[in-house]
Amino acid sequence: MDHRDYDAENGEAQLDALFHAYRQACPDPEPGAGFMPRLWQRIEARERVSFVFGRLARHVVTAALALSMLMAFAVIVRSRTAPLPPESYVEVLAEDHARQSLDYVEPVRMTPVADQAH
Amino acid sequence: MLVDFELIKRARAGDGPAFNQLVLAYRKRILGTIARLIGHPEDVEDVGQEVFVRLYFSLDQLRSAEVFEPWLYRLTANAAYDYLRKRRRRTESRMADLSEQQVMVADALAGEAENRNDNERKRIRESVDSLLGAVSEEDRVLLMLKEVEGLSLKELGKVYHVNENALKVRLFRARQRVLKAFLANRKRTAGVSGSH
Repeated sequence: MDHRDYDAENGEAQLDALFHAYRQACPDPEPGAGFMPRLWQRIEARERVSFVFGRLARHVVTAALALSMLMAFAVIVRSRTAPLPPESYVEVLAEDHARQSLDYVEPVRMTPVADQAH
Repeated sequence: MLVDFELIKRARAGDGPAFNQLVLAYRKRILGTIARLIGHPEDVEDVGQEVFVRLYFSLDQLRSAEVFEPWLYRLTANAAYDYLRKRRRRTESRMADLSEQQVMVADALAGEAENRNDNERKRIRESVDSLLGAVSEEDRVLLMLKEVEGLSLKELGKVYHVNENALKVRLFRARQRVLKAFLANRKRTAGVSGSH
């Protein structure tokens, strides 16, 4: 058998023995007298936190809902007081496009050939 | 199962005394598992309580009473993993930090399992703790559940919700890494004792 294989095999057995020794060195500990009271304290503390957080979240959601309704109301009121232009958006765009395309059109200058010779 | 399904169902329905009974039935076993997973007796109760607090708040998500034990092991493994991750961030203890004395103890341990006093137990824990520094916290917990707690691959599959072949591969790699660290230490110890 190769020396390295023997080492690994031997190591495997020793590692198993070490794990076994570890199991023996860490027996199931006896819980302390305060284990259950402290556990219930922690549960109650976490319940309190989640209760407070839940209430806070509910308030935030309510406030957000009220705010969005208020904003919707404001938008509706504003749109009624300042009516939209009679043309549609597409019509406004088309009109604008026509104006812009005119900018590129320059008058054609026709110079007689005779003038060019001078 | 240490309790009957009826008790689990009652606890799941929010019955406080039933939950209390459930904790009383399982706490010693869970504390033992945690003690071996984390290797730090001073923090065992704290981590154990965290497991039961998580159990209390997640019990309503339990599909059926039959899967209660794997579920509890899963919570235990997760709590131990969280603890180890936090602890590693604090200490960063690695194999390289092992004192020569610790290395020699780790090697000597394999042969002698009897007549150990508390001091020796502490040193065993420290040695294994340091050896397991060669693998990640997840692999450490997995390896301990298999090698020290003696869970079968089937049981581990239920705990982790992973197929057995994937677990086998992962366990093999983790064990190989620990073995490599173990052999390297042994070689180093042999070198140290040879030079004296």
